[in-house]
Amino acid sequence: MNVTRDSVAVAVGAVVAVILQLVVAPNIALFSAMPNFIVAYTLLVAIVRPTAAGPVLPFVLGLVFDLVSGGPVGAMAFLLVLISFLASRAFVVLDNDTLFMPLVIFVAATVLVEALYGAFLLALGFDATALDAFVYRALPCALYDCVIGLVLYPLAARVLAGAAPAQPGTPRLR
Amino acid sequence: MALNFQQSGSASAKRVLLVVLLVASLALATLYAREGENGPLHTVQGAVGAVAAPFKFAGAAVDAGMTSAGEGIENLTADESTLSGLRESNEALRKRLAEADEYKLEAERLQELLNMKQTYDIDGVAARVVGKNIEAYNQTVTIDVGTDDGVESGMTVMGSTGVVGQVKKADARTSEVRLLTDSQSGAAAIIQRNRGEGIVRGSLEGLLYLEDVDEANMPQVGDVIVTSGLGGSYVRGLIIGTVVRVDADKGNATGRIVVTPNDKAASLSEVIVVRGLNSEGALGSTPQASGQTAGSETADGGDGEGGDEA
Repeated sequence: MNVTRDSVAVAVGAVVAVILQLVVAPNIALFSAMPNFIVAYTLLVAIVRPTAAGPVLPFVLGLVFDLVSGGPVGAMAFLLVLISFLASRAFVVLDNDTLFMPLVIFVAATVLVEALYGAFLLALGFDATALDAFVYRALPCALYDCVIGLVLYPLAARVLAGAAPAQPGTPRLR
Repeated sequence: MALNFQQSGSASAKRVLLVVLLVASLALATLYAREGENGPLHTVQGAVGAVAAPFKFAGAAVDAGMTSAGEGIENLTADESTLSGLRESNEALRKRLAEADEYKLEAERLQELLNMKQTYDIDGVAARVVGKNIEAYNQTVTIDVGTDDGVESGMTVMGSTGVVGQVKKADARTSEVRLLTDSQSGAAAIIQRNRGEGIVRGSLEGLLYLEDVDEANMPQVGDVIVTSGLGGSYVRGLIIGTVVRVDADKGNATGRIVVTPNDKAASLSEVIVVRGLNSEGALGSTPQASGQTAGSETADGGDGEGGDEA
């Protein structure tokens, strides 16, 4: 296994995301919306490093989230692996070298993750209607994740993508 | 092009890994859903939760720190108009005052808990809230007492104004409490005024709904709702909240009855885990719940008489 500056930066970012989720997220919840730093970070990595990002990081981070949150183990791992793969592929195909496209893909991926996580919980017996789950949890949380992602995007683009300048398709801030 | 993995490892190896991890995730989710509370995944989850507990403690400290920082910024702004020689001592005094205010508020909260404990003659153990859940779908908090303190899964948890939840699971030193406002919560309840029975359920909206009420015993706004103890899930006779909205009537019992929750996760600091109640609580013939909730005045007249209607 090659330990490069890239992989170290990504790993450190992952640890920071987990710590932020444990320590900060519960204390900055607004009404029913709680940000998910793990989702935001995973999707950022998938978009900022579309060709280098593999499925291992989303799987590990998703599993960690499932284990510490008390939710169904495997649900977030599955969604992060799937959606981060789709996000990175979408970025490779749709990238037009502007800031617009990665942000659109990030927002869409975030909403998808939160909505599907709600659907996962409902399928596993969570006692609520699909509409309530979407309106009162998935949508507010997705919006909060988007805000977190938008704030972190310039940093991620500089630190993570900056560490691997040879990657094609890396978004540039304009 | 769309499946171009050229950076590390072959494209096919990454595809295989992707499929393997997706299948593994689904297998884990399926196993988790099918196994019981004592299954291996639940056990691992409990162990990881215990490992993560110190971070939740840190989170509570961060929360307190953010509050102090806010007060500090306020103090700093206030000091700009003072003389430079007095700024330092003024700042120190303000800090002490802020600390004293914090201690005072804490003492008041503890006093309220103590009053509640004495009023209902509760056999219980006091606890501090040291952590909150990290995802949005579950409304749970972590408290700093566990099985070493006699806490067991299923015990009722009270805030300073009444029931706030139930112990979901307990470790040696910490316990996880599912709040009544959680959409998975439900408590058998009784309307204090007319003894009508129902079920209080939480919701994703954060509201409590009183459901399954007999048409003959519909509540009115202001009625106090108390745990009935039916089913054994909650201790009988503890105040749940007050009815604030009644959309249902005798011809429409399927409408919604909204009950104000006692406390929300954000405002919970100290709680009592109830091991038992040595009195009738709020269902006693001479209710002593006055002053515990906004709606307790309604208890003065009708309580204990078992009347059919208001």
